Amino acid sequence: MTTAAHGGGRLVVDGLEKQYELDGGAVPVVKGVSFTIEPGTFTSLLGPSGCGKTTTLRCVAGLETSNGGRITLDDKVLSTGTEHMPPDKRDVGMVFQNYAIWPHMTVFANAVFPLQVSSGKLPKKEARARAMEALELVQLDAYANRPATALSGGQQQRLALARALAHRPRLLLLDEPLSNLDAKLRDTMRNELRSLQQRLGITALYVTHDQSEALSMSDRVAVMNQGRIVQEAAPRDLYYRPADRFVADFVGRVNMIPAVVRERGGAGEVLVEAFGTRLATPCPDGVGIGDEVTVTFRPESVRWHETAPDRPNLLPARVVRVEFLGEIVEYEAQILAGETVVGTIVARGAPLDSPANGSEIVLELAPHACRVLAG
Amino acid sequence: MSTAGRTTTAGRTRPTGMKIATIVAGAVITLLLAIPLAVQVITAFRGPFLPFGVSSAKWSVDNFVTLWELREDFWSVLGSTAVFVGGSTIISLLLAFGLAWVTVRTDIPFRRVISVLVVVPFIIPPIVKAQAYQLMLSPESGVLNQLLRLLPGDLVIDPYSFATMTVVQSLTNVTFPFLMIVPILTSMDGSLEESARVSGASWGQTLRRVTLPMLWPGLLGVAVLTGILGLGSLEIPLLFGQEAGKDIFALKLWNLISAGAGELPQYGLAAAWGCVFLVITTIAFVIYLRATRSAERRASISGKGFRPTTMKLGGWKAPVLLAIFVFVLLTAVLPMFALLWSAITPYPIAFSFEALATQTHFTAFGEVLADGEFWASLGRTLLIAAASATIACVAATVLAYGIARGRRTPGARAMDLFASSSVAIPAVIAGFAMFLTFLVINPVIPLAGTIAALVIAYSYRVSIAYRSSYSATLQIRKELEEAAVVSGASPLEGFRRIVTPLLMPTVFAVWIQMFILGTNEFTLPAFLATPESRPLSVYMYAMISPRSAQLYQPDQGAAMALIFTLLVFLIGYGLQWAVSLRAIGRARRRSAIPGLGARTAAPSNEPPAPATRAVAAQELEEQRELAGR
Repeated sequence: MTTAAHGGGRLVVDGLEKQYELDGGAVPVVKGVSFTIEPGTFTSLLGPSGCGKTTTLRCVAGLETSNGGRITLDDKVLSTGTEHMPPDKRDVGMVFQNYAIWPHMTVFANAVFPLQVSSGKLPKKEARARAMEALELVQLDAYANRPATALSGGQQQRLALARALAHRPRLLLLDEPLSNLDAKLRDTMRNELRSLQQRLGITALYVTHDQSEALSMSDRVAVMNQGRIVQEAAPRDLYYRPADRFVADFVGRVNMIPAVVRERGGAGEVLVEAFGTRLATPCPDGVGIGDEVTVTFRPESVRWHETAPDRPNLLPARVVRVEFLGEIVEYEAQILAGETVVGTIVARGAPLDSPANGSEIVLELAPHACRVLAG
Repeated sequence: MSTAGRTTTAGRTRPTGMKIATIVAGAVITLLLAIPLAVQVITAFRGPFLPFGVSSAKWSVDNFVTLWELREDFWSVLGSTAVFVGGSTIISLLLAFGLAWVTVRTDIPFRRVISVLVVVPFIIPPIVKAQAYQLMLSPESGVLNQLLRLLPGDLVIDPYSFATMTVVQSLTNVTFPFLMIVPILTSMDGSLEESARVSGASWGQTLRRVTLPMLWPGLLGVAVLTGILGLGSLEIPLLFGQEAGKDIFALKLWNLISAGAGELPQYGLAAAWGCVFLVITTIAFVIYLRATRSAERRASISGKGFRPTTMKLGGWKAPVLLAIFVFVLLTAVLPMFALLWSAITPYPIAFSFEALATQTHFTAFGEVLADGEFWASLGRTLLIAAASATIACVAATVLAYGIARGRRTPGARAMDLFASSSVAIPAVIAGFAMFLTFLVINPVIPLAGTIAALVIAYSYRVSIAYRSSYSATLQIRKELEEAAVVSGASPLEGFRRIVTPLLMPTVFAVWIQMFILGTNEFTLPAFLATPESRPLSVYMYAMISPRSAQLYQPDQGAAMALIFTLLVFLIGYGLQWAVSLRAIGRARRRSAIPGLGARTAAPSNEPPAPATRAVAAQELEEQRELAGR
């Protein structure tokens, strides 16, 4: 397999703007989106539906014409606010949400298409070899002569991928490609897709609303909301250091506790007052004594004890709900100050080691698991 | 820009070549529909008798004044037309709904056979059907009246009563609403009915409270189209109406322009009549549009298209089968028999075995086949039908694609409506308006009476093709084209390699449908054709009409009708067969990729997914279902 021939380009999107003309005037859907994807890396655009992520992807593909901003792939200018290279000249591959497999063609004819049409046209023999190579990549070479409609959903998905890769583009665009698959297949495809991308060293831009997809596959994740990128970071940073309440809430489950900064602690920490007690957390820049802040932490960062250990950030609590979810257990605990309930925390833990419903326990929030957000 | 090649400024959705094609197609359709109607309206306001191109004519409302002065005549025509069209439409609809219901929603045996038998009359030209009913109902020699005499009671059907004419009209028009109602019933979401049944409603209550209210808009749309079809067809009124002494609109229009010796044809007055009826059908068209829109809304509410539950007929099986048998007898078997009997007997005689043994001969068939004029008009029929079907399909497909994929500007919306509107124009009005148009432009473009004129006139049914292509385009998901472009295909390549092959089955099917409609067409050429350009239907009418003294040869007319029907049948099915063969051939060619045989045989590291076979089987099943319809 001559996978070395692939390789990726460097995509730069700078200040992308897009409005839709509706009856009532222009509705902006992408408002100044900028990001860079380094060659051979995998970036996801993650966000709720209507946040502009698919529009951004389609602007990169050339299927939508942007109203402003610049898109370049290596030294090739794909789009400025006024001039747009047609999609067929952009040298990108794209996988559509519903696969867009051409039903009137065989599996092979689908895969060889990019090598037969004007932009990527190859001599017949070479085109055939390349298309078969692409089908091999996704283990569909044995199905080459089948009508494309005779494939199952997962196979159609892989065919769409083979077709997008056949002409060896420098950029692979994926628009929620896994959302039509069932859960189990989705997990398998996720791994396959990621390892294929790494093997080929192709640059990938992936659009999804599923945070676990984005986190598990990407080198970088850009979270979008209302036409803007709210945070762009590596998956781990995004998860544990969300930039604001939206990101914290959208990516995974989170507890958000209102608090007031009371004093500086040691080693770049502050002590905040929450639940009527003091908690130590890392201190972000620009937070001063007396500020009202939000302390966030993930449910799975919470540990529970039957008796208080000798460590900071302990909260006495009573378990009021225990929910068995299979691989984990989620429980809800009321924070107690004496006999008064001062707040509620959702926590998650291993199913074999979960507190009993109604029991009184001590919750521990390790300082490094906490994150302070302004406001 | 650092790159070479095509760049565009904002807003390119289609290649400019496509845009131009769309505009050309739109212009063709506009000319086709708008000019004749405009000529007709102008003629109505130029008086007194001649079309507006004639120099002595002047602007006036004289024609409408005359219409008003003759209002007793007007009201009587309007009344009898309403009863005739309304009555026959209702009977057709009831029969069609009953038949469709029985074939789609019950466990009737021979379902497939029945649906084929109901559809077969569609390919019998209406003028042939009209002729056959005339023969079959003849008081002395008609086979139906002969059969009735076998029954107790002294029942004889008077062929020239108004009621007979209405029933005959409805029997000839059952297939059209049947073909429209079947998909409505099939696509109905059965779970809606099931939930009514689960809520405790009986079959009857479910039908009354859920099914019919849900189907109502769709059925209303079918009713309007059937009504306009009935209003526009000249065949039955021409063959039965003259003798019945009732002036039906189509016949009235016909009589006004075919003036007797020494009279001037009253074009202006006829145009005024046409305008009045055009207003009526426009109102009907608006009702139709609202009904279909409402039907679409209801359809979109329903969930996945489960196969609707079927009703067990139980003890009703035999009576229902008997009723269907009688229907097939009346619409297919007896008419064909009457034609055959007429063709092999020298003059109208009642059927008897003695007559069969002594008086019959097959010379009429030989004479028809030896008649050069028969072959010439057959050739013209095929030529006109093929050419007009091609024009309509090409223009309609291009326009439908452009409008379905383009932006919904007010102009596009108006064009969409306009291209759909020819269903609202009754054929008689279209025929008459085209006739006037060719008369008016004749000094400049001498087309009147030519085959070209007929081709243009036949193409007016473009809406049929337009609606089909439009919905077919909408069914091609936009991603399929986008995937082509992202794969590096230019928009034109994408259109040629993705859109065209996906649209083709629909376009072919519509072409065949329009071709058969064209071969069956009588009303339009009745207005437009001369002996030099007439198609077979008109030539045949000349043979069976006692008015055309020198051509009157009823036995040859009947023989010709039979040959004609057989030919249309063979051509229609032959084309369908050829198309399906072609589709299979193409699939074979596609799958035959050289050098892949070994690979295909090699063991795969993934066993064939069980889903694969299931998907394939399901698709096969669906195709069978479709074919069965």
